[in-house]
Amino acid sequence: MTAPTLVVGELHDGALSDATKEAVAAAQSVSGKENVVGFLAGSSPRGPAAGFGRCGVARAFVAEDPRLDGAIDAAVAHLVASAADSVGADLVVVGGSTFGRDLVARLAVRWNAAVATGVTSLSRAGAAVEVRRPVFGGRATETRHLEGAHAAVALRPHAAAAPPEVPGEVALTAVPIEGVPPALWAPKCSGVKAVAQGAGPSLTDASIVVSGGRGVRAAENFHLIDELAVSLGAAVGASRAVTDAGWRPDSYQVGQTGKQVSPQLYVAVGISGAIQHLMGMISSRVIVAINSDASAPIFKVADYGIVGDLFQVVPALTQEVRRARGQ
Amino acid sequence: MEIVVCVKPVPDAETRLRVAADGTTLDIEAVKFVLTGYDESAVEQALLLKEANPGSKVHVVSAGPPPRTEEVLRASLALGCDLATWVETPPGVAPDPVSAARALARAVSAVPHDLVLCGKNAGDDEAGLVAGALGELLGVPDFSSVLDLRWDAAASRLRFQRSTEAGMETWEASLPCIVALQQAWNDPRTAKLPSILKSRRLPIAKVPPDPAPPAAGTTRPTKFELPPPRTGAKLIEFKTPEEAAQKLVKVLKEEAKVFP
Repeated sequence: MTAPTLVVGELHDGALSDATKEAVAAAQSVSGKENVVGFLAGSSPRGPAAGFGRCGVARAFVAEDPRLDGAIDAAVAHLVASAADSVGADLVVVGGSTFGRDLVARLAVRWNAAVATGVTSLSRAGAAVEVRRPVFGGRATETRHLEGAHAAVALRPHAAAAPPEVPGEVALTAVPIEGVPPALWAPKCSGVKAVAQGAGPSLTDASIVVSGGRGVRAAENFHLIDELAVSLGAAVGASRAVTDAGWRPDSYQVGQTGKQVSPQLYVAVGISGAIQHLMGMISSRVIVAINSDASAPIFKVADYGIVGDLFQVVPALTQEVRRARGQ
Repeated sequence: MEIVVCVKPVPDAETRLRVAADGTTLDIEAVKFVLTGYDESAVEQALLLKEANPGSKVHVVSAGPPPRTEEVLRASLALGCDLATWVETPPGVAPDPVSAARALARAVSAVPHDLVLCGKNAGDDEAGLVAGALGELLGVPDFSSVLDLRWDAAASRLRFQRSTEAGMETWEASLPCIVALQQAWNDPRTAKLPSILKSRRLPIAKVPPDPAPPAAGTTRPTKFELPPPRTGAKLIEFKTPEEAAQKLVKVLKEEAKVFP
């Protein structure tokens, strides 16, 4: 019989995040639907934990304490490990997020788990858990076997499609908070200010990314990139040339020393395609390049290319996308 | 402030990747290993904090095989790190990230450490596991994806930004803690020749690796694959920008099936 798999949930705007739903789908396919158990920690996790039911998960743990909202990693890792042990789970799956990666790192030590992050596919190979994950900025893929009594896996965003929504109910079990050793509650931080969030999806989450590069020429032209992104429902990224020039903040940078993205569609506008940029986006499923220089290296890695003046092509493309999407 | 910065030798970004004979790992024959990416930024940030806070020291630590691990430690000394410790592991493949974290934890706990810095992830395995595992092993908090890291000496607080899925977050924390850096204040510096020559004579302390606890899970690479070479973009032919736009939307819809 397959041992249960615990899926650790994370909230986005008060509901289970898309990354969590993807983790549920991956866990269901590797362990069987009836063997997936949810987990959610926070000040009031019971409401949002109902979202597990709508993903076809019949039971879930909730750890309820206001201190858990402050991202107390050590305490969360302790609670996850004890919940997993109480149902005899041998595998913990977390979504592709900062939280997920940090949690499995702690479970590697606290739960003696064999761990992997950035996982795009997950299966069982005998007693081992087999994972596939892009490495070297998407320039190679490795397969690994996680061996031992416990494994913990953080997915890559979009590694799986969210399960179809069902009218299911989930039975909730409280994880005793008293079991957490006091030292783990040591406040790790204070004064967390409100998150400054731009409009549109975040860069690492988005299924479409539109990035602008040096070819955009000036900060005041970057609205062309923004408008194309809005028409597609995409996140906006930038090459290093753009963030170095201060046309956009550093948080927009896609590349070796910026964000690494793997959307369904990546549109590179006025980007030549230096290796440092490619390392941030080459694992995208479909790449479109728009550049006036036909010899730009970006055309070697792109699936589709338009050799043309972005100042003419991009506004026309924005119009056409709006028309096609009935905007 | 006593700053420890953890680094890993990683293949140079320009490396042509090849699969090793057994098909499970990268062929490291003739690969040039360097201090690069987020780790290079972490060293830069450590040096900037030292310069901004007189009396601080930067201790660089690495766990890995000869000779590349010694080379990145010497490169870090040439950049201005004060001390270096090497946890030497057997030649060949690098230890997995959790084993590396166990080795680093032993080295770090043996020296004074207020702030432990490392890169957000290494450009080869891209695991990003070291900071969290170190946090658990050393019993201190860790923060990942950090930018704009400042030490407020008057308040004895670290202040920084974190770039997460939710957006940009503003944080503060007390020491000791571990920070996995996404970006330093500025581009990493390059070492000057006299410093490089001097770094060759500086001592590097050595610490043996810790054996993992018997219950610890392990990971084993079973396959290393390179994607088929990209054939180059299918170029869209057009006479007007409008025609280019229509043809692109059509192929994204009908051929690539990625149109929203």
